[in-house]
Amino acid sequence: MPILKMEDVTKVYEGKVTHRALNQLSFEVNKGEFVAVMGPSGSGKTTLLNIISTIDTATSGYVTIDGMRPEEMTKNELALFRRRQLGFVFQDFNLMQMLTVEENMVLPLTLDGHSVAEMQKRLTDISSKLDLQNILNKRPNEISGGQAQRTAIGRALIHQPAFILADEPTGNLDSKASRDVMELLMKVNREQDTTILVVTHDPIAASYCDRVVFIKDGEFFNEIYSDERRQTFFQRILNVLSLLGGNVHDLSTIRLS
Amino acid sequence: MTFRQFAYRNVIRNRRIYAAFFMASMFSVMVFFMYSMLLFHPQMDEGFFGDFAATGMIVAEVILYIFTLFFLFYSMSAFLQARSKEFGLLLLLGMEKKQLNRLVFLETMLIGAFSVATGILFGYAFSKFFFMIVREMLQLQNLPLYLSIKPFALTIGAFVSLFVIIAMTSVVFIREQRIVELMRGYFTSDDRQSYSTFKAILGIVLLVVAYAAATFTSTRVVFTLSIFLPPIAALGTYFFFTHTVLFFHHQVQKRKSLYWNRYRLIAVSEGAVKLRENARMYFIVTIVSTVAFLSVGTLTSLSSYTGQYRDLNPLGLIYSSELDNPLERQHIRLLTSELEEEGLSYSMVPFQIKKQTSSYTQFEVEILREADVNSLAVAQGHPLINLDPGEAMFIPYSENALSILENSSIQTVLEESNVPITVKGVYPRMLFPSMILGANVVVVSDQDYALIVAPLQGKSMNDSRFNFYAFHIPEWERTKSVGLDLDSQMTESIYQNQLNDLPFFFENPGLNYSIIRATFSLLLFTGLMVAAVLLLAAGSFIYFKLYTGLERDKKQFAVLKRMGLTDQEMINIVNRQLIPQFFLPWGIAMLHSAFSFLSLQVIWSDLADVSILFEMALVLVAFTFIQVVYYFLIRWRYIAHVKAS
Repeated sequence: MPILKMEDVTKVYEGKVTHRALNQLSFEVNKGEFVAVMGPSGSGKTTLLNIISTIDTATSGYVTIDGMRPEEMTKNELALFRRRQLGFVFQDFNLMQMLTVEENMVLPLTLDGHSVAEMQKRLTDISSKLDLQNILNKRPNEISGGQAQRTAIGRALIHQPAFILADEPTGNLDSKASRDVMELLMKVNREQDTTILVVTHDPIAASYCDRVVFIKDGEFFNEIYSDERRQTFFQRILNVLSLLGGNVHDLSTIRLS
Repeated sequence: MTFRQFAYRNVIRNRRIYAAFFMASMFSVMVFFMYSMLLFHPQMDEGFFGDFAATGMIVAEVILYIFTLFFLFYSMSAFLQARSKEFGLLLLLGMEKKQLNRLVFLETMLIGAFSVATGILFGYAFSKFFFMIVREMLQLQNLPLYLSIKPFALTIGAFVSLFVIIAMTSVVFIREQRIVELMRGYFTSDDRQSYSTFKAILGIVLLVVAYAAATFTSTRVVFTLSIFLPPIAALGTYFFFTHTVLFFHHQVQKRKSLYWNRYRLIAVSEGAVKLRENARMYFIVTIVSTVAFLSVGTLTSLSSYTGQYRDLNPLGLIYSSELDNPLERQHIRLLTSELEEEGLSYSMVPFQIKKQTSSYTQFEVEILREADVNSLAVAQGHPLINLDPGEAMFIPYSENALSILENSSIQTVLEESNVPITVKGVYPRMLFPSMILGANVVVVSDQDYALIVAPLQGKSMNDSRFNFYAFHIPEWERTKSVGLDLDSQMTESIYQNQLNDLPFFFENPGLNYSIIRATFSLLLFTGLMVAAVLLLAAGSFIYFKLYTGLERDKKQFAVLKRMGLTDQEMINIVNRQLIPQFFLPWGIAMLHSAFSFLSLQVIWSDLADVSILFEMALVLVAFTFIQVVYYFLIRWRYIAHVKAS
């Protein structure tokens, strides 16, 4: 059963230079799936993510998320929808600087007016899963990048959303922290059956997913499914990327040994 | 692109940030210039306003100058700090420190030149309007606009030198830091334990002590207190903003049921950061606003003093004359005809006042006749008196005398004419302005009055008696143009120190009243303009701080929006952040002023029985209104910017 369904989604930016960011893009994400979207710079990844995040709307075509049509909802309904059904992980973490780690994590729940007892319960739960118990009272500027991203994942998970959207979650992390974060997302996906969509440049990160969708110039290019061994899946991803003709700097120079 | 063009473009493209202090300094220049226009007015030499008002205006100029200097100092330092990232980049690109200093110097001078030019332009444009207000206040025939180099020279000289000082010194604010640190930008580390509980409580204690002392002050200690209280209150205010506020925030943050509640989580934590970052600024704003409120309030209460004027001056016109004054009849005729010309009804009571020596005190006593006093009492609607021969009554020389002399009873002999009298009690109302006659004035029965025939010992008859004309005029405020000729003769002889050579004395309380009133209203007007500049500057500080934090706030709201913050919740958060920023310093300033006025009231009721409560309330309400308008204006701009993200 698809949780996200995109049909012929086109996005045109009007301006001094009209720019077609997405062109009749169609694909589906099933419930419980862990999907990566890859593509070279300027391929429309960010636009795609903004449309799925419901903070931008498509010029034409249909988007259905969890049976809902964002374009038919009011601004307020959309805000409540995002708050309850979606979780976000960003490249630069976007933690609130003035909040502690635990406060950052409970933020979606406080916005929705949950009781303190319930927030505490979920917080204990999540923080032990993410190994954040010891830094709950620290500020974002006092913790490492990996810890910050784990906090952000905690924030994305705490309200048990239907769908998690991650924008370059490993973009600002070293290789060890990247691996931890991707393994964590994989675990969440397996254990809680949470649907996750990751937009990434990083083929290693993409190799943790069930499926990789490639887009180029706003159009669907290819998709490949994972197999038993992650190394071979990684190689196949690299093959598609070279076929994509993306710029060299889009490719990671590191290979798994 | 030359170096100068670069500096120019920096200013032009940063105009939104520069706008706030451009506005404040321009307004300051404008007011300064208008005052200069008045000070150098050609009619000044004719003395159209008193020395008092002129001094007040010069003081206002000095205050404006000093304040603008401090304001620009502070803004510049904050602004350069906010741009440290940009400076780091320039240094990284290979700019020398010397060049950077030159860049800042050029930018500051550009702003300076621009605000001086526009300030003078607007100042000149509004000068006519300003003169019209002053003319109304001083009730002058005309006060034409004029063109002279002097006010321009003063304003340009003063402010260009001011901007040069700022431009030369502000580069000091770019601290010697490594480029890496500059590049990291203006980011304050958020350590929430940055307050001390001791100082937080000390702040509250100091304020409470100051307020309590101000409330329960008495005449005896008020002057001592007025030396000690301001520093105590200032220190208390400082600790309040730097520690107490954070202390309270922390108390809220410790209670999760309060703190983890919908958007309050963001609002409170964000509020704490904003208040901590800007604590010193709020302190300055509070002190500036308090000074502004106080100065305007004091001036308002001064002008309300004139309301008491009538009680102290119950007569419309006063003319007294020596017996050998050849012009007496002519002067009286002149005055009565001028009163008729003005269409003023009046009643004139002529007295002949006799002087005798009292055996009781050996001082001179001035003696009035019962019939004359009764005629004046009839005119003024006061009770009549009835004295038997040998009886006498004091005429009060001041309000205080009413109670002092009330129960007195003195037996004395008017020595020269050997008339024994018993002076009993005092006439219950003020018939004459205080001290216009001597301090020893009695009224005797008509029979006794007739018995007084001998002159003062060793003096001529001419020195022992004088004629006194009391004019009762119901519409006493309108006598401004009556007896101007006599008044100018009086003024002239005062200037030449020959008052005693003049065979007559003339006083027109209506004219004096209009001068006093005009002077005070001019001072009030001056004070209001200065206060307006101060308030504008205080608002600019807040605007400027908001603007430098805008990029960060925008980004934050963008994230929150994605996470599902509704627009209404965003507005609520903005309100929660802005309201303390606007109204906390201002509220404290209000409290400070209110308590200061409480002690002022003590001094005041001592000087003259004037209650300043109403005037105070009016001033505070007016300032509140301005502040609320300013709040909505800034909120509107801020929300528009944040929403645009």
